[in-house]
Amino acid sequence: MAATNQNDFLIQFENISKVYQMGLELVHALRDITLSIRKNEYVSIMGPSGSGKSTLMNIIGCLDTPSTGKYFFKQYDVSDMSDNELADIRNKEIGFVFQTFNLLPRATALKNVELPLVYSGVNSSKRKEIAQQLLEGVGLGDRITHKPNELSGGQRQRVAVARALANNPSIILADEPTGNLDSKTGKEIMILFNKLWEKGNTIILVTHEEEIAHYSHRIIRLRDGLVESDEKNGNPIVPKISELEEIE
Amino acid sequence: MKFSEIWEAIVIALDSIKANKLRSFLASLGVVIGISFVIIMGWALAGLDKVLLDTINMIGSDMLYVDKWDWSGGQNWKLLQARKPITLEQANEFIKRVKTAEVAIPIAKRHRTLIKYENLNFEGISVQGSLSEYGLTPAGAILDGRFFSPSEDMYSANVVVFAYNAYYSVFPDGDGIGKTVKINGHKFYVIGVVKKQGTALLDFVDNQVFVPLSSFLGCFGKYRRSLSIGVKAGSPEMLDEVRTETIGIMRGIRGLEPWEELDFSVNETKTFEKSTDMFRLYVWGIGIGMTVLSFIVGIIGITNIMFVSVAERTKEIGIRKAIGAPKRSILFQFIIESAILCLIGSAFSFIGCSVLIYAVATFLPKAFPSISFLSPYIPLKLLYIASFVSIIVGILAGLIPAIRASNLDPVDSLRYE
Ligand SMILES: Nc1ncnc2c1ncn2[C@@H]1O[C@H](COP(=O)(O)OP(=O)(O)OP(=O)(O)O)[C@@H](O)[C@H]1O
Ligand SMILES: [Mg+2]
Repeated sequence: MAATNQNDFLIQFENISKVYQMGLELVHALRDITLSIRKNEYVSIMGPSGSGKSTLMNIIGCLDTPSTGKYFFKQYDVSDMSDNELADIRNKEIGFVFQTFNLLPRATALKNVELPLVYSGVNSSKRKEIAQQLLEGVGLGDRITHKPNELSGGQRQRVAVARALANNPSIILADEPTGNLDSKTGKEIMILFNKLWEKGNTIILVTHEEEIAHYSHRIIRLRDGLVESDEKNGNPIVPKISELEEIE
Repeated sequence: MKFSEIWEAIVIALDSIKANKLRSFLASLGVVIGISFVIIMGWALAGLDKVLLDTINMIGSDMLYVDKWDWSGGQNWKLLQARKPITLEQANEFIKRVKTAEVAIPIAKRHRTLIKYENLNFEGISVQGSLSEYGLTPAGAILDGRFFSPSEDMYSANVVVFAYNAYYSVFPDGDGIGKTVKINGHKFYVIGVVKKQGTALLDFVDNQVFVPLSSFLGCFGKYRRSLSIGVKAGSPEMLDEVRTETIGIMRGIRGLEPWEELDFSVNETKTFEKSTDMFRLYVWGIGIGMTVLSFIVGIIGITNIMFVSVAERTKEIGIRKAIGAPKRSILFQFIIESAILCLIGSAFSFIGCSVLIYAVATFLPKAFPSISFLSPYIPLKLLYIASFVSIIVGILAGLIPAIRASNLDPVDSLRYE
């Protein structure tokens, strides 16, 4: 790989720790983590339950703040930022995909996808247009007026992916995106991620499943809040063209 | 704050209220009652203002009445009773001397005088003796027939002009002009009817008859009779000057030394404003107490329901924060919900009060004619006041729950089930 310059780093962790207090006991969810992730990387984070994967993701996504250490997002020091600035980063730079989808139950697919655009101040007609395009992009062009409970799990997760893409963010953060899906629908989601990565997006996902992790190009393993290993995946799974087109 | 955020907050609020109709209705009950108090109070006071204005217009805002009695009612009745009567001679002397006034007329009154028509007796009607000039004041405006003339004054003609209600109680068919009635046993010829003056403050004015002063004194005698003097200043700006002159002349006529207190009163329409001020104070006192109480209950109810709403939507708040909703947006969302809840409540009280007020003002005066001044409509101004007050109440009630919502931790909220 060619020499890279510092500015390629999207995410830089310097000695990040996260400590929770549980009664008298201190829980060290993350211990002194230092790592960097570049633009257009495709990373998966693995590790046993309780090892700190979600905590790490939440800090990367500016949903949570570290107890100690420095986090630079695009060279900006996140620890200096106000609540409003963090909200703005979450809105414009980060797209979350959750294991439990986290869609608004009473809103239609279209409305759910529009939501990030509401907070970035896009006007109503433009919002509808963008959301419609994104839903078509994940193969749900004919489901835009459905509410979450009228959609299958796989379809819900695709709505969530479309929502994550609404403001054209730099990173997609997915915490066990296939955890609640069967292997076939899980694969559909992975095909979507692959497409996004090919278009230049940075993707970070948490997973338990080795097979899912093998879609990515780098695998970080956590144990007890520490990085156990951080390796390149020299042989990522590439979905076949026919599979890619299935979604279109 | 972005426009899309504001609009979103309104849509969410309406959605949430729609999804919990009964709960929202019960929560806003206190506000509904509070707003209803405001509306009914405002409506009653608007009615009062109208009466006051009517009264002043009828009497004329440029009129002074020199009298043994004081209209304000604030004075000791016994002291007033002990005052010497204002005699016909004093009144005539005053009228001769006064310069600044446009016109001055002596007026004599007798309450509850027996009036006979054919073989029917009427007992509740007052008789007023005055001069033909009285017919030129607003209170003597003619509806039908004519007022008596200066020569009828001079020759003590037995002619009578009826006020509106008196006319229709004696002549239900309105055919009294040209007929003869007996007042205190004396025959009088009916020559005219005065327009309805009808104000609730002075409802007796419609229930009297007018005769020439000389005839009046011939009928009822002038011994120990106290007259009053109506003094028309010509314009409200002249009042002060005319009042000063009036007091000066009357002091002279009544033989008062400079250090002695007045033994007569100079009444004017301002006195009515004072007496209604008291009434106004009562309405506000009672009304405000009840209103504040129901608003307190209302605020507690709404605050409570908003806490429930925040708790129920913890997950939603987490989702919104995760995708970039700033604190202020969440804060605003819940304050708007609470404000809209109250605004809808005030709309309901407006509709309810409209129906109530229309019914009251339409049907109640049939039983109690003296309250016929009440308008069947709510003044538009009250719509704005009620909306404004309800929005303020909503903001106050929603503030604490909204602050709590906006401070929720996004990670914790997302985990909430
Ligand atoms: N809010 C909290 N308060 C206290 N302890 C917490 C909190 N959140 C996480 N932890 C603790 O931090 C550690 C790491 O939690 P985290 O959710 O990051 O694990 P994970 O790797 O995502 O696990 P899983 O695979 O089960 O999702 C755990 O021991 C957990 O109990
Ligand atoms: Mg986790």
